Amino acid sequence: MHLLSLLIFIPFGTALLALLVPSRYGNSFRAITLGVNIAQVIILLLVLSHYKYEGGFQLIEKIPWISIDLGAWGVLQSEYFVALDGLSLPMVALSVFILLIATLSSWTLEQNRKGYFVLLLTLNGAILGSFCALDFLLFYVFFEFMLLPMYFLIGIWGGTKREYASIKFFLYTLLGSILILIVIVALYISIKTPDTSDRIVHTFNVLHMQDFNNLIPDSLLALDSIKLVGVFSFRYWAFLLLFIGFIIKLPAVPFHTWLPDAHVEAPTPISVILAALLLKFGGYGLLRFAYPIFPDAAIHFSWLVGLIGLISIIYGALNALSSKDLKRLIAYSSVSHMGFVLLGIASATVEGITGAVYQMFSHGIISAMLFLIAGVLYDRTGDRMIGNYSGLSSKMRSYAAFVLIAFFASMGLPGFAGFMGEVMIFFGAFQSSSVNGLLPVWMAIAATLGLLLGAAYYLWTIQRMFYGPFSTKNVTADLTDLNRREFSMLLPLALAALIFGILPQLLLNYINPFAGDFVNNLFQRGNLLTP
Amino acid sequence: MELKVQLTGISESVGHLLPELVLISSLVISLLLGLFLKKNKQTILYIFSLATYLASFFIIIQTWPHQPVSLFGGMMRLDDFSAFFKLLFFTGGFLTILISKQKGETASEYIILIDAILLGACLLAMSMNFVMLILSMELISLPSYVLAGFAFDRKSSEGSLKYFLFGTVATACMIYGISLIYGLSGTLDFSSNQFIEALIDSKDSLLFVASFLILTALLFKIAAVPFHLWAPDVYESAPTPVVAFLSVVPKLAGLAIFIKMVLALNLFGQSALPWSMIVAFFAILSIVIGNLSALVQTNPKRMLAYSSIAQSGFLLIGLATMSMEGIHFLMFYAVIFLIMNFLVFAVLHQFENSINIQSVHNFAGLGRLSFLPAFSLLIGMIALTGLPPTAGFTAKLLIFTSLWTSYEDSHSITLLILMVVGLINTVIALFYYLKIPYLLFLKEPVSGSVAIKNSFPRNLFHLILVMLLIYLFLLPGGLMGWINQITFVL
Repeated sequence: MHLLSLLIFIPFGTALLALLVPSRYGNSFRAITLGVNIAQVIILLLVLSHYKYEGGFQLIEKIPWISIDLGAWGVLQSEYFVALDGLSLPMVALSVFILLIATLSSWTLEQNRKGYFVLLLTLNGAILGSFCALDFLLFYVFFEFMLLPMYFLIGIWGGTKREYASIKFFLYTLLGSILILIVIVALYISIKTPDTSDRIVHTFNVLHMQDFNNLIPDSLLALDSIKLVGVFSFRYWAFLLLFIGFIIKLPAVPFHTWLPDAHVEAPTPISVILAALLLKFGGYGLLRFAYPIFPDAAIHFSWLVGLIGLISIIYGALNALSSKDLKRLIAYSSVSHMGFVLLGIASATVEGITGAVYQMFSHGIISAMLFLIAGVLYDRTGDRMIGNYSGLSSKMRSYAAFVLIAFFASMGLPGFAGFMGEVMIFFGAFQSSSVNGLLPVWMAIAATLGLLLGAAYYLWTIQRMFYGPFSTKNVTADLTDLNRREFSMLLPLALAALIFGILPQLLLNYINPFAGDFVNNLFQRGNLLTP
Repeated sequence: MELKVQLTGISESVGHLLPELVLISSLVISLLLGLFLKKNKQTILYIFSLATYLASFFIIIQTWPHQPVSLFGGMMRLDDFSAFFKLLFFTGGFLTILISKQKGETASEYIILIDAILLGACLLAMSMNFVMLILSMELISLPSYVLAGFAFDRKSSEGSLKYFLFGTVATACMIYGISLIYGLSGTLDFSSNQFIEALIDSKDSLLFVASFLILTALLFKIAAVPFHLWAPDVYESAPTPVVAFLSVVPKLAGLAIFIKMVLALNLFGQSALPWSMIVAFFAILSIVIGNLSALVQTNPKRMLAYSSIAQSGFLLIGLATMSMEGIHFLMFYAVIFLIMNFLVFAVLHQFENSINIQSVHNFAGLGRLSFLPAFSLLIGMIALTGLPPTAGFTAKLLIFTSLWTSYEDSHSITLLILMVVGLINTVIALFYYLKIPYLLFLKEPVSGSVAIKNSFPRNLFHLILVMLLIYLFLLPGGLMGWINQITFVL
């Protein structure tokens, strides 16, 4: 059963077939896309039924893909290697769920439906491919493959400043992926497969890359390489490049400036995908590639990771507080919440790592909900300025209810998914100084300020927009309550935010084994090197 | 007796030049056909030349692999290395004729000029002697000057004249440099032991000057900075198929001889000059200046001219590594470069036939009206940038692999700078490569713009090139394995 391949390639194949359908059958494209989403949900259920609660990779599929003779330097070998573990499974499940919601949210789209849904399907396959890939080259290809569909989806179907936003998104992300590419090139040259044939086989296999025995002696990334560039050894530089590459995607301060623009200009479904899924590649990349491959550097730089996380938490929250545009506020709250992910990763404790993965998952659900909420308002009035509304709760009752749920969930109120992630990150961050001494306690204390600010900007927004007497400025459109389609999108998200807040075990069963292995590995291998 | 040996040598050598002989006879026949054929039957000429190139191509394939054999008393050498480049030239010629549509009286002249350049390119790739080098280089240059003016308007003449003036100066420099080298070594055969022995460990500053004079002409030929100034003018004014041709065939021919020349002057690493650094220096210059200049262009062909300058820089990276593998990757890059360049120019030509494209802004919104050509252009541009899922990515990946490995061995800071510059420039390049697709798809059409003339054969042609780029991304092993078997000794 090639479940993962089916999950990845059904959207690609369907996109190709959909290209052949004439564009005058406009309505069929959304139905086709929805069909793919439903098929993916079914496959996901099958995947879950096959997956066992234990560490390590499962549902492995591995076939040779590219093999190039490099002459005297050996052979370049890349595999089609996909599998799931406790990190990627929650991400894949989240993707399938969110992509379904995104299709529903695109249902009323009118302009050039063929192009839109074909791009959406391509994006779908690329996202799932990236989360499943365990070959660095394969990951990179899927990762880059997300760029173009995203560029066009923002650039064609976006808001008024869409062109600027889309090119900014593209350039930032490409810069990040170029940094990652440098490390990929350096890594595969320095890594050989464990088999002992006479020819050196350079591999992109991430699992091989994580084993120090596979490092080629005298290569620049070898453990005992004393060659320095500037102040750091090559291994440290490689880690830093990966780190910057992935936190551009995350995004963390100071590489976050593309995010508010992209979010504000993107159409609602694309904002949802961007916030709920694409941002997750930042944290995913660190946990999957940067940390396990360079544990020595990761331990060395954990203060930096933590510090950038902390700055993102505070800075993002302050920006959100001062945002006048609802979507911009949500975008900055994403920056702040992703800062927690960095903090959890930096703590390098089982709790911290579990919390980071949990936070990524819960943020996926909650931010999707938040952007849908902003979209509902924008659809009706074409205006998202917070100051232009007040007393909405009297006009739009169920809408206000969902806004409350989403805001409280995002604030991290107990009982919602956001709470579990953040509380575990704080456990990890506070423990870190006594368990492994990586993060000073003040960082954890300072991060609590982020929670406070989070409560402030959400409550203030609720107060401004929803309470008091009803009035609007510059808005003439009729403010009707949620329709059935919007209700059907928001309800499952709200339920998910509740279920994963009340029954965290549903997710922890998957994440815990992964986090345990991750931390063990990190210190076993990372400490070998620290004198 | 002496004469007899020479004569048998010549007659034996001729047999190895079958592809060139086919080309020469085609040239003569085209000339005659042009004189006697009715003006409306010019299609025959095109079909005839296509057949010729195909025939020459398959002759080379038939005789693969080649035992290295010295021809005409050391003037040339036929080996797999030169044969590989000859294959690329014939492919380039074939694709050019396929997208050309020069009609009327000038059709036969057009084809003859292309024939002549191909012949020159083949001879240049095989040259082993400075005299042969000058001759074949001029055989490429003179018809190129004429072809550059083939739009027969003021602008085209200006471009052609500029090309000519720069070109003759470059040739003059080279001849002067060669005369100095001849004085130093006493031989014109740059593969001979005499050449190496005379120059090895020579710290003579004259050698330095002479090498640079020769390099000037070669850098000019491949349009590398600082001898690139002709390229934008020529590219802008010449007919698009000619530009596609000039940006591939003379450039690759120049590259082939560049490789040989640098390896010869490198004297197996015994040269007093750091050749790896020198090549890396020119590569950096070309990449940076080419890309930065391309950023501000609005004329699409001028932009592609600067892109082509930057691509020369990327090709030179393979040589800067001074390793067999690096040169193999350069050859792989050359194949991909040929495909993507022709793809881009062919689509551009298709647009040009329907609308006036003086500026990239003329493309605004056309992507929705003519999806297939616009899509092909998008893929071509992505490939030129070096993004997956196109072979442009694979080519860049391999080139940078060789650079990294070379850096690991040498720890030369120049190579590290080259790598950083090259990678950062990929991001800069994206900005202008994406300009046209951006306008095609993201902008609203200007009122009154119509879909371009749709032609099934052209769309099919573009799609085949697109497929090739994607195929070579998915399965590059075959081509790379084949290139890896090409060995060459100087």
